[in-house]
Amino acid sequence: MKYRNLILKNIFRNKARSSLAMIGIAIGIATILGLGLLTDGLSTSTEQALTAGAADFSVVSASSNGQGGGPGGFGGSQQLINETTVNKIAQISGVESVAGILRSSISDDSTNSTNNTDQQPSSSNSGQPSMTMPATVLGMDSKNLEMYDVKVTNGSTYSSANEVIIGKTAAESQNKTIGDTVTISNETFKIVGIYETGETMQDNGIIMSLSTLQNLTNNTGKVSSVLVKTADSSIANKTADTIESTYSDLSTSTSLSGIDRMNSGMDIIKSAVWGISILAIFIGGIIVVITMIKSVSERTREIGVLKAVGWTKKWVMVMIIGESLILALIASIVGILVGVGVVEILSLSNMLQFIQPTYSLTLFIKALGIGLLMGVIGGLYPAYRASRLAPTEALRYE
Amino acid sequence: MNKNIIEIKNLIKLYDDGNTIALDNLNLEIKKGEFISIIGPSGSGKSTLLNMLGALDQADEGSINVAGYDLMEKKDFSHFRSKEIGFIFQLHNLIPNLTVSENVQIPMIHTYISDEDMVKRANNILESLNLSSKINQFPTKLSGGERQRVAIARALVNHPSIILADEPTGALDSKTGDVILDVLKKIHKAENVTLILVTHETYVADMADRTIEVRDGQITNSK
Repeated sequence: MKYRNLILKNIFRNKARSSLAMIGIAIGIATILGLGLLTDGLSTSTEQALTAGAADFSVVSASSNGQGGGPGGFGGSQQLINETTVNKIAQISGVESVAGILRSSISDDSTNSTNNTDQQPSSSNSGQPSMTMPATVLGMDSKNLEMYDVKVTNGSTYSSANEVIIGKTAAESQNKTIGDTVTISNETFKIVGIYETGETMQDNGIIMSLSTLQNLTNNTGKVSSVLVKTADSSIANKTADTIESTYSDLSTSTSLSGIDRMNSGMDIIKSAVWGISILAIFIGGIIVVITMIKSVSERTREIGVLKAVGWTKKWVMVMIIGESLILALIASIVGILVGVGVVEILSLSNMLQFIQPTYSLTLFIKALGIGLLMGVIGGLYPAYRASRLAPTEALRYE
Repeated sequence: MNKNIIEIKNLIKLYDDGNTIALDNLNLEIKKGEFISIIGPSGSGKSTLLNMLGALDQADEGSINVAGYDLMEKKDFSHFRSKEIGFIFQLHNLIPNLTVSENVQIPMIHTYISDEDMVKRANNILESLNLSSKINQFPTKLSGGERQRVAIARALVNHPSIILADEPTGALDSKTGDVILDVLKKIHKAENVTLILVTHETYVADMADRTIEVRDGQITNSK
């Protein structure tokens, strides 16, 4: 008879107890795997949503007051950049795409527009009340809206020089909707869409084509900032450094608050998942220890016999750990199947609408590894106890 | 003349932090191939002596040499037990979830014997003990006498030089007990193995070449 056959036979000699232990471990492994699949999926989905087309950083003139570029930058004096520089940045290694943006500040009062952009009550010809105009007008090509996290939620984007889109906040505060008009610097524009960026301040503005705003503000061939998207987000900082070292008159801003917040949020979720996993491991481990102690206790006389016929302490110890390990292996496989099954059922039943479970070999190896570790650690103490049993006492055990 | 296989001098074994003397300056010599019975009342020290001979326990003082092994050395005697000693207990102590054949193979698991030879050797011994029809049965299906014969097979399977039997008929009726004693006597003759049998029954003790009487941890009579 092979040693391993003896181990296998010992595991199943008390089927009820072994099954109970396996259920305990399997639940632990299923929890770890299921949560892992969901958090990885959540992380991937969120990251994809946040970084699908968004820029990694923005470039502004070094002599600007630093507020002309990325999301959140409003107003302030700004030094403009030549559009030729935009094309040069696009040639830098690691840069996937670039977008020039012109920003123009306007006053809140429609009757007192700034020197950059004049504005008039937009609906004077339609009988609407005098409006308070949005604080910012942005000029960018419509194909680059995604890089600025702009989503047109109603209507369509602009396709001609006399069309604009208006932010949701501005539209609500000015009681504007699709089809209405706004007048900026004596030019009337038709609102063809309403956009959202997820930030109230950003949504309190108007966006039109870059060339239109350049003409309107006499800034032909100039931009306020350049949005840069890299081929891989992980090289964003490095690429930004390259740009700064190549163009001393430019500075970069890599603070992409969305991703930072996501990473911070994911860290919290992952910590919680680890906490639950450790609890599951602890419970599973305790179940293995109790099962194996009971098993060893019931077989005390047998262990005495094994020692009497010449088994060493090591062989007894390996036998008990082996039993515990195989028990954990079977339970881990069951746990993995249950974990995947439950997640798939939840996924198919549309209970996880926004999370697509992410399957990775690492996660499965981790779940299996944790299961086996539970088996080894859980079996260690009972095995040690069994190996230390004095044969004479073991043989007298009732 | 056969050489001594067991030599014990001034052996002392204490229990309860020295408050109980189990063996008190015990001296004993046993020749290879002898059939020895050890008798004595309960608590006299006969089982303790057997445990010392099988290296299941260690003495506190004196010397004990069995089959060339100095059992006073502080080391693991697993190899000694596997190679030189065959134990038969009052209760058979068979493993219930293993078949008769597998139970007999247990002492061979960690030897260099191949799986095939293990099975062959176990089944041959079981056949010689008239248990060939029980090879694949589980111990729970056997009678008391059959179980004890399986235990004897397990003790013999590694061809030990000494068999230590601790009241092997104690849990059996007299008829079955006689069968077991008959088996042991036959093995003793056929294998020239040294047989040491602990009993409290005089008629069992009288079957041996020599009977040693133990009282209060000392040998009081040897005839």
